[in-house]
Amino acid sequence: MKRFPWWQLGVLLALLAGLGLGLAYAWIIFPQRFTASNPALLRADFKDQFRSVIAASYAATDNLTRAQVRLALLGDNDLIGSLNAQAQRMIANGEFIQADQLAALASALESGAGLPAQITPTLENFEPVTAEPSITPIPSPADLPFVMTETSEIIETRTTGTQAVPNTATPRPTQTPLPTRGAPFRLVGQDTVCDPNLPDGLLQVVVFNSNRRQLAGVKIVITWDTGGEEFFTGLKPELGNGYADFLMFPDTSHAIQLALGSEIAVNLIPPTCQTPSGEDFLGGYKITFQQP
Amino acid sequence: MGAAGLLPGFFKTTLMKPIRWIFIFIALLTGIGAGLAYGWVIDPVEFFDLTPDTLSPDYKTDYVLMTAEAYRLEQDPGTAARRLAIFGAQSPSAIASEALDYARENAFPNSDVVLLQELVTAMQAWSGIIQ
Repeated sequence: MKRFPWWQLGVLLALLAGLGLGLAYAWIIFPQRFTASNPALLRADFKDQFRSVIAASYAATDNLTRAQVRLALLGDNDLIGSLNAQAQRMIANGEFIQADQLAALASALESGAGLPAQITPTLENFEPVTAEPSITPIPSPADLPFVMTETSEIIETRTTGTQAVPNTATPRPTQTPLPTRGAPFRLVGQDTVCDPNLPDGLLQVVVFNSNRRQLAGVKIVITWDTGGEEFFTGLKPELGNGYADFLMFPDTSHAIQLALGSEIAVNLIPPTCQTPSGEDFLGGYKITFQQP
Repeated sequence: MGAAGLLPGFFKTTLMKPIRWIFIFIALLTGIGAGLAYGWVIDPVEFFDLTPDTLSPDYKTDYVLMTAEAYRLEQDPGTAARRLAIFGAQSPSAIASEALDYARENAFPNSDVVLLQELVTAMQAWSGIIQ
């Protein structure tokens, strides 16, 4: 009778036991200390901090290539989307300067002039970029001269000094909803308007709260390639408390968002429309924001 | 007789030949070594949600350099110190100094070294003020 190979079985079992012990030690008891990670492995809040510092650095240097390489290290699938989303979060938290810097960087990346098509840095080949690219920097919104605009419409006022005041009941004040800080506003409508009776390139904005009531006094930030402005809802109450408008520049891409924090309406270039008689004119947009 | 009947054979063949214990011991060590190599080198534990202090020195230095670039424009040492605090318990001046040393050792462009030097100076002054 052939003997059972006990000792060979023992060797095999010892090998397996050793393997198990080794793996347990390497994976559980003493996993390899991680001292050479890269930014893509960071926790989300630290990535946010990284993005903020990248945007601050870009605001200081205007070095878009370097900023893009650094952003790519974070491993975001959508660099611009991540920047815009963080900008909105920061606006909601009242961190307007950082939000401006993030939005400016997103805007610069979106225009992307002069950048290489794809930059994929790795731990091995990443080095701080030393070459200064010949990029004409796009001014950040923080640097742009903000000009308060007022509607050009003449508001008629009546003086009643010499007239008899009719004995009518004093009107009770009505409650006008005011904007409150809360969840970022959503862009719920972006419609092209081709109405020859409206001024050329008219951008109409309507802002609602979560109860679908129009909000007055909401600051709207509009930017384009070479400038930016702020304007407010409620300056034409006859058109609604939450209404505001702006005359866009022809052949220029505009982007608007609410200073309280909102999604951004981008690529607003006045469309070319035609009258029934076949004449061309510049149309406009109607943008609607609503608090969720 | 079953398995119990085989045990005497096991003791005879194994216990009585110490050299076989050596083989078993070697197998055990080999297994441990293979397990460690697999767990540490071939397929190490994957980390995520890490903190910035785990970054490799080149990324840390680049972050500090970004802070220095922003500082040159903003001239706000408090903000710069807050940005550097992402690395944990070290003082902002120590973090900036480490980055400056790394930049010098790795032949960063002179313009970057100058920026880091400015930041180190600012952080040392700022630390002195708040102490």
